[in-house]
Amino acid sequence: MKQTLVRRHQFQTLRRLLLNIPLMVVILIPLLYTLSISVMQPDEIYTNRLIPSSVSFENYVRALTGSYYNFPRMILNSFIVSTSVMLGQMVTCSLAAFAFSFLEFKGKRVLFLAVLATMMVPGEVTIIANYLTMLRWGWLDSYRALTFPFLTSAMGIFLLRQYYLTFAKELYEAAKLDGCSNIRFMGSIVVPLSRPALGALGAYVFLNTWNQYMWPLLVTNSRHYRTVQVGISMLYDIDAYSLGLMMAGVIIVIVPSLSIFVFMNKQLIHGLMAGAVKG
Amino acid sequence: MKRTLSLFLVVLLLAGSAFAAGKTEAVKAEGPVELTFWHAMGGVNGEAIAHMVDQFNKQYEGKIHVTYEFQGTYDDEFAKIQASGGNYPCDVMQVYDIGTRYLIDSGWTLPVQKYIDKDKYDISQIEPNIAAYYTVEGTLHSMPFNSSTPLLYYNKTAFDEAGIKKVPTSFEEIYEVAAKLKQYNPDGSVKRYGFGMGNYGWFFEQWIGKQGLHYVNNNNGRGDAYATAVDFDRNGGGVKIMRVWDKVLKEDIAPYLNRGNNDAKAAFIAGNIAITLESTAALKSLLLNVGDKFEIGVGYFPKIDKNDVGGVSVGGGSLWMMNTGDTRREDASWEFLKFMISPDMQAYWNMMTGYFPITVKAAETDVFKQNIAKYPQFQVAIDQLHSSAPQYAGALLSVFSESRKIVEDYTERLANREGTPESAVEGMARDINRAITNYNLVNY
Repeated sequence: MKQTLVRRHQFQTLRRLLLNIPLMVVILIPLLYTLSISVMQPDEIYTNRLIPSSVSFENYVRALTGSYYNFPRMILNSFIVSTSVMLGQMVTCSLAAFAFSFLEFKGKRVLFLAVLATMMVPGEVTIIANYLTMLRWGWLDSYRALTFPFLTSAMGIFLLRQYYLTFAKELYEAAKLDGCSNIRFMGSIVVPLSRPALGALGAYVFLNTWNQYMWPLLVTNSRHYRTVQVGISMLYDIDAYSLGLMMAGVIIVIVPSLSIFVFMNKQLIHGLMAGAVKG
Repeated sequence: MKRTLSLFLVVLLLAGSAFAAGKTEAVKAEGPVELTFWHAMGGVNGEAIAHMVDQFNKQYEGKIHVTYEFQGTYDDEFAKIQASGGNYPCDVMQVYDIGTRYLIDSGWTLPVQKYIDKDKYDISQIEPNIAAYYTVEGTLHSMPFNSSTPLLYYNKTAFDEAGIKKVPTSFEEIYEVAAKLKQYNPDGSVKRYGFGMGNYGWFFEQWIGKQGLHYVNNNNGRGDAYATAVDFDRNGGGVKIMRVWDKVLKEDIAPYLNRGNNDAKAAFIAGNIAITLESTAALKSLLLNVGDKFEIGVGYFPKIDKNDVGGVSVGGGSLWMMNTGDTRREDASWEFLKFMISPDMQAYWNMMTGYFPITVKAAETDVFKQNIAKYPQFQVAIDQLHSSAPQYAGALLSVFSESRKIVEDYTERLANREGTPESAVEGMARDINRAITNYNLVNY
């Protein structure tokens, strides 16, 4: 009996592997090919070769140590900006969502609709106006300009509010009866319970900010405040581009964001399970 | 673990605000003049710019200091200057050829002619066929800097194997040669095409000039009035070009290689097409990527009809002086421009990037001579430029980037077997004229 169970288990694992490995290969091939091009000799790139005949890290050395590109600084910048925006949104969105789901006040519905309405305005429409605001304030070329416009988002408020609405109203009422303040209720009940939603929001916001291109390009001029996506475009030129160098840049930029995501992912699953058990 | 992470993040945040606060904005009245130079060169070209600016700063230490700032692609950079309006975030700016008319109209810039006259700078040092593009009504508006023309590149090894001696100069000859170069796989599919070109609006403009015709009216947008409509539909030049596209694709002389030049370049490097069209500035990267696989030869950009009399015009970019109103900075900008086009710098620029040296005297420098010895193909590009004439300098149009996209749109439709060459040109003229009318209504 036990043996058949084990065998069945092994069979299932095998089946899963057989299904997942080809899928994984399909998804990973572009990434692996990028990696492979970044270590190839230039004259090998266009020969339909998947695996380089010899490995050279010249492109990485050039991108990382060249004073013109200054990738380490750009990675640090992106990290500072993405983390600030992520933390900012987690705080502002959860507070706003708390108000919109637990508190009763006049004009709540209208206000919430107004927040939602801002989601309908595409970012491209406001980018020039925002840029001019930054220009007038003299904020160009600073971390403030890179983070401030993104410290809250309608999407985040909406996501968290929907999540908070699933909490039983009685929870809040009971806490109130026991003399619990709103802030304490947030801190000891709402936030721990909404970790999966907060984590998802955090990961989403982090990656979005990491991948921003147009805004950082507009509001920064000096190399000290440039972020990684602008850095990648520095490797490209319409008349003379070196694919190897560009791909090395892409890999350098992917690695930090990928590792953050892997870490967040663990948090996410942990949070999801905690929520499931507590019900 | 969680606590250390959050602690770490808080520290990062603090560090971030410290960085932001540490920036000083005060501009000293004394000391060197601080200039900002915007450019749009990535990769090797950007590294070359950095090197040249560093050289300048060394030479002018204590007097002028230039900070170079990369601003994305030409389009990104142009969008940024448009967005900032008259707020002059820079003193010198590199702008692409097709932004010329817009900047002249904007009034944000100073024509370099002003300083050429003031300084009695010998303008004959600048290649006349390059300067012609940026000259309107006798006024040189910006300093030519990175200039290129289109060229025909061919796989010399394949030419030798097929016994072809003469490099084609017109499409009649390309058809003939391409048939000999075409190779098939055993299963009947094409292994190698004789010819292939990207759907690139720049080529269309060049072929109009090659036929000696105008792209837009009012003396190609260079007269006393700005252009009000395209001319290529009326002078017949457009239809001839589209008939070439039609024939090439219908008779399978070349595959359709999508918009832009990247696919054509990749196909040429991989040996899948034996002749292609590309910018002179691509020579170095082509040689590097092809390596020892085959030998690359170059020839003049092909004529549409073998009896055409016309010439190529330059593409690329030029350096503009912004009208900052601060004479001290403007004087310093002029010094910077003169340095950037000095023979030594231009020879270095040419060696690093493959753009033309825009100064005649650069040809006398050792750097240039060594470079030509190493890449003899480049001499063809220079000969082609010299054989052109200032009257083929190409059009000036404020909505050029849009019109280039429209041309590519209709070429793509033709490639998809929609319409005829005649209807394509009709459509292009209609759409571009609408864009021109809208622009003129708003801006003049």
